[in-house]
Amino acid sequence: MIIPVRCFSCGKLVGDKWEDFVKKVKAGEDPKVVLDSLGMIRYCCRRMLLSHVDIIDEILKFYEETQKKEF
Amino acid sequence: MDIQLIEKTNISMQLVIRGVDVPFMNALRRIMMAEVPSMAVDDVVFIENSSVLHDEVLAHRLGLVPLVTDLDSYNLPEKCTCKSEFGCNLCRVTLTLEAEASESITTIYTGDLKSEDPHITPVSDKIPLVKLAPGQKIKLEAYARLGTEMVHAKWQPVSVCAYKYLPQINIDEKLCNACEECVKICSKKVLVRDENKIVPKNTIECTLCQDCVKVCSSPPAINVAWSDDSYVFNIETDEVLPPERIVLEALNILNRKIDDLLGQLTTKNELLH
Repeated sequence: MIIPVRCFSCGKLVGDKWEDFVKKVKAGEDPKVVLDSLGMIRYCCRRMLLSHVDIIDEILKFYEETQKKEF
Repeated sequence: MDIQLIEKTNISMQLVIRGVDVPFMNALRRIMMAEVPSMAVDDVVFIENSSVLHDEVLAHRLGLVPLVTDLDSYNLPEKCTCKSEFGCNLCRVTLTLEAEASESITTIYTGDLKSEDPHITPVSDKIPLVKLAPGQKIKLEAYARLGTEMVHAKWQPVSVCAYKYLPQINIDEKLCNACEECVKICSKKVLVRDENKIVPKNTIECTLCQDCVKVCSSPPAINVAWSDDSYVFNIETDEVLPPERIVLEALNILNRKIDDLLGQLTTKNELLH
């Protein structure tokens, strides 16, 4: 749904790195380099960012449309 | 006992501790993880929540947010003098959040949380809590308190807290032909070639995997062993407390436990005789 606050396995804070990560990867940077620069050393934390899909964006589209129709 | 500080940053620390045994190291590790208190949101009162995340999901996310902890000014609620279920100023901090999306989709961050104590704030202002579509609104009050990992993992002050034996690498110069096979196979880049011999460079990184021994001609010129009384201790915090403070707190807790045991044994002994 939305990026988890902490890594599921070790408990490191990952939530605050998500937007930075997405921005840099979309700009064409190598995810490996980006993860290293964000201090994501262990593979448990790296998979948190690498494998995440922000489904909340898809769901919010429905609410946005209903809002438009109401007016 | 001898302690050597190898590396220290504001979130992590690496120590080499000599002259101790496994039970001691394990006691220290377990207390650091499970018994050193830290601050986290425990109760949340929702006044309004029309976001796509349910109350309990949002409350769980708030709970996991690491808060900068002040161990000197706050008490554990069960040890606080107020004895109140709701807590007092010495054992509870209130954080409030009021947000609404007006025109476009808005992300609500931990930076939007308003804390009644300016010292107890989230370690990062950039953690997304929820995204709101236009018209959606949240209004809540969150109560943070000290707690330990024995109750919930959100109160764990460390993410990495582990020790390993201090590796010892010996290379027999008579048997070694400096073929560099061991240098190539080592995933941690522990070995390096120095002119016409192989030398261990950062022994502390060695994981004792023995790959270099297996790849070496027989009889192997390289021997990877470990010391029985020396340990490498790695600590990485959630930024809630400085790493050295966590070690000191853990030692204080261990001390208190032993003092308590000693005290009880002495009084019981007097009763027996």
